[in-house]
Amino acid sequence: MPFFSGEKRKPRAGFFKFSCCTGCGFELAYFQRSLEDTLKSFDFTFFRLAYSSGALEGPFDLALVEGTVTEPHQAVELKRIRENSAVLYAVGSCAIAGGIPAIKAGGRELEIEKRVYQKKLYRLTSMRPSVLSDYVKVDGCVRGCPPGRRDLEEALVSILLHRRPEFIEYSVCVECKLRGNICLLVDEGLPCMGPVTNAGCGALCPACHRACYSCFGLMSRANIPALKNKFRELGLSGEEIERRFTLFDALRLKK
Amino acid sequence: MNGENTFQKNYEALISRELLAAWVEGFKENFRLIGPAGGKGEAEFREVFSFNEINLDYQSTMLPPGKTFLLKPVEEILSFNITPGGPVAEEPPLPDRKRILFGVHACDTHAILYLDKVFLGVFPDPFYRARRENTFIFSLNCKTVSGLCFCHLVGTGPFLKAQSGYDVLLTDMGSEFLVELKSVRAKKIFSLEGRPPEGRDLEKKKELELELLKNFRKDFKADGLREVFLSRPDHPVLKETAEGRCLSCGNCVMVCPTCFCHDIYDEAGVSLARIKRMRRWDACQDYFFAKVHGGNFREERQARLRQFVFHKLDYEGQFGVKGTVGCGRCIRWCPTGIDLTEIAKEMMK
Amino acid sequence: MKNPYVPFKAVIRGIGQEAGDVKTFLLEPESGFPPGAPGQFNMVGYPGVGEAPVSLSRVPMEDSDLFEHTIRAVGRVTDFLSTFREGDEIFLRGPFGRGWPLNEVKGKHLVLVSGGLGLAPIRPVVQIADKLKARRITLLHGARDPGSVIFKTEFRHWRKKGIDVELTVDEPGKGWRYHTGIVTEIIRRLKIAPAEAVAFICGPEIMMRFAANELFLKDVPGSSVYVSPERRMRCGMGLCGHCQHGVWFVCKDGPVFSYRELRGYPDALF
Repeated sequence: MPFFSGEKRKPRAGFFKFSCCTGCGFELAYFQRSLEDTLKSFDFTFFRLAYSSGALEGPFDLALVEGTVTEPHQAVELKRIRENSAVLYAVGSCAIAGGIPAIKAGGRELEIEKRVYQKKLYRLTSMRPSVLSDYVKVDGCVRGCPPGRRDLEEALVSILLHRRPEFIEYSVCVECKLRGNICLLVDEGLPCMGPVTNAGCGALCPACHRACYSCFGLMSRANIPALKNKFRELGLSGEEIERRFTLFDALRLKK
Repeated sequence: MNGENTFQKNYEALISRELLAAWVEGFKENFRLIGPAGGKGEAEFREVFSFNEINLDYQSTMLPPGKTFLLKPVEEILSFNITPGGPVAEEPPLPDRKRILFGVHACDTHAILYLDKVFLGVFPDPFYRARRENTFIFSLNCKTVSGLCFCHLVGTGPFLKAQSGYDVLLTDMGSEFLVELKSVRAKKIFSLEGRPPEGRDLEKKKELELELLKNFRKDFKADGLREVFLSRPDHPVLKETAEGRCLSCGNCVMVCPTCFCHDIYDEAGVSLARIKRMRRWDACQDYFFAKVHGGNFREERQARLRQFVFHKLDYEGQFGVKGTVGCGRCIRWCPTGIDLTEIAKEMMK
Repeated sequence: MKNPYVPFKAVIRGIGQEAGDVKTFLLEPESGFPPGAPGQFNMVGYPGVGEAPVSLSRVPMEDSDLFEHTIRAVGRVTDFLSTFREGDEIFLRGPFGRGWPLNEVKGKHLVLVSGGLGLAPIRPVVQIADKLKARRITLLHGARDPGSVIFKTEFRHWRKKGIDVELTVDEPGKGWRYHTGIVTEIIRRLKIAPAEAVAFICGPEIMMRFAANELFLKDVPGSSVYVSPERRMRCGMGLCGHCQHGVWFVCKDGPVFSYRELRGYPDALF
């Protein structure tokens, strides 16, 4: 059925947050040119960053979920959100790949807690980090840290149009070329993660003469060993290479 | 071009660098001038506002001039206004700005001729055509050769031999420039003042080319590849290169001057007032490029790398010429230095 | 010059439920939309959703401009279109490509082989069967199970036209009266004079390959066996490059190819 006809009820949406910096939520709240249209088109019944009140229960036509699951109650909440949502998109690297909160996945929970908090560790309820898809079915991934405008818009539009979303699935290199950025990896030998990183940022860092650090996470089927080899040729140590690949993708790569 | 014409009107002339500058500056009134600019690091083709910005000695650029300015990286090809009665198509206006694409090397000129075969064929693309018609191509014969150039092996350089499809050909002769008007429209619009070339000048041009030909280092046999490619599509060198080095990042095809593939997708704002149908350069090295519901025809990295190598060095049946113009960009800009000529050589062994 | 990306509109005049997720849309195009030939396709879609190549499952005839598309909801575009109702408008560009070589059929034994939804582009050939002047027409159709056989109600009518119709399924249920097994086995039993035969095959690529091989075992030459491969397409006009197979653009040089034309290029089963 064409989207401009038929029911006029605004889709109900919720924005939820687990362990993360809330940057993705901010990105939506500061969705500059589109914020007004977004609030006109959607009924955000739960969005803590925008409204102090809100009904957590749903039901939701769209649930946008940011953050990594690092505490047991979050897993319970996530499952409840899923059960009450027609469509659930994971938003941001934390929710999709583990992101920054998952850096700790490389070590033992207790040892890391000791390093950070020193004592009274029995008060902590945190556990090994998990991505959303470890607990629930995820209908789409709005990648980024925070997501780019295009994919965020695509997530919302897919609901308004009642169709599947098509998120960006190619390397940052493609965006660099579209933008005309001179390749930092080839031309200057900077350890740029662009070739294995999912695009969507518009090649923001390389455009500012900064090597990509893969904040959007690895693109699917990236050739990780080949880029690691290249970094070794550039003189990076094994640890330096590991850090680059596990900064945002620790969960995917440590498994 | 033969010399008889010069007695009626100057279609060829030797002019000083200063006169060339003045000549080109004179076009600025009616044309947007695009040329290779920037000397440090890589030159790039961009709009220039004075002749001095143009780097006449540039070696190569990352993005090819033809593809970048005739088939824009991202472009709106259609839009739909959403009205209560349904979407109504609205055609974006065709580009009509007159432009000069200045300093296009022989390989890149041949690449434009290749793109013409794609976009001006049975189904001409209106945007490409409009840009092409409004763009005057000033080709420039090369002065230097890089270690990655192989135009000499595929007949596209280093000096431009094509007789049509571009407008002006420039050759740096040292103290002077040889300017040749090549197209009917160039002969009609542009007038040349300067000394008509004599026999010794043309002799010198030939010498310059011969001198240049000595500097090529790439060497592989382009003939006979077809049989090898078709009989050994699973040659181990493809698998080894794909798995060991290929990142599927798409750099090779994005910087390729003849790679014409593009994606078409719709962009709708949250207001759904207007939907834009866009096209964007696409990369066959991308996993999803040839995927359909029932399967992916180039699921393996090896298959995607092979598509690139074969499409560039073979598949002449497609447009009657090879897909490569020997510019060497795909080698230069591959993060892991994959070299299609080396792959071909290995396969020919 | 006209912008070739501007689509035509067509109104849905009828919807047939063929099998589970397969629907046939009867479409009335706005004026000026060129009629298509059997084997050709349209880029069917909707603004904001995109376009997908869909073959004609019925072509316009003298008495009517209406044509049909038979669509399985498997992708972004087809999922979206499957929710459409009678009276809704869809957008399309086309018809594109080279259809079945109908002028080669005269006086020959035309062997039509289809698998699953592959019957859709074969159906227009059957529709105009009497005009083809073929000596004999055989249709061999295979499907997964009886429930996924499309155009079920039409076979009787086709038999009446004098077409030999043979049906087979992989998983027969209760009451299935026809063959069981893959379609190649029926080809094996078929009496064919190789020089007299022309075959049109459409279905999954692996099925097309095995069907063609079976015909080659009967000495039918590769130049008389035609297949219609499926590829990703964005433009339909040989510009976007997604459908390239060897030297071919499947959209504009095909989608129908003789087996001989396709053979030898990598990334396909031919």
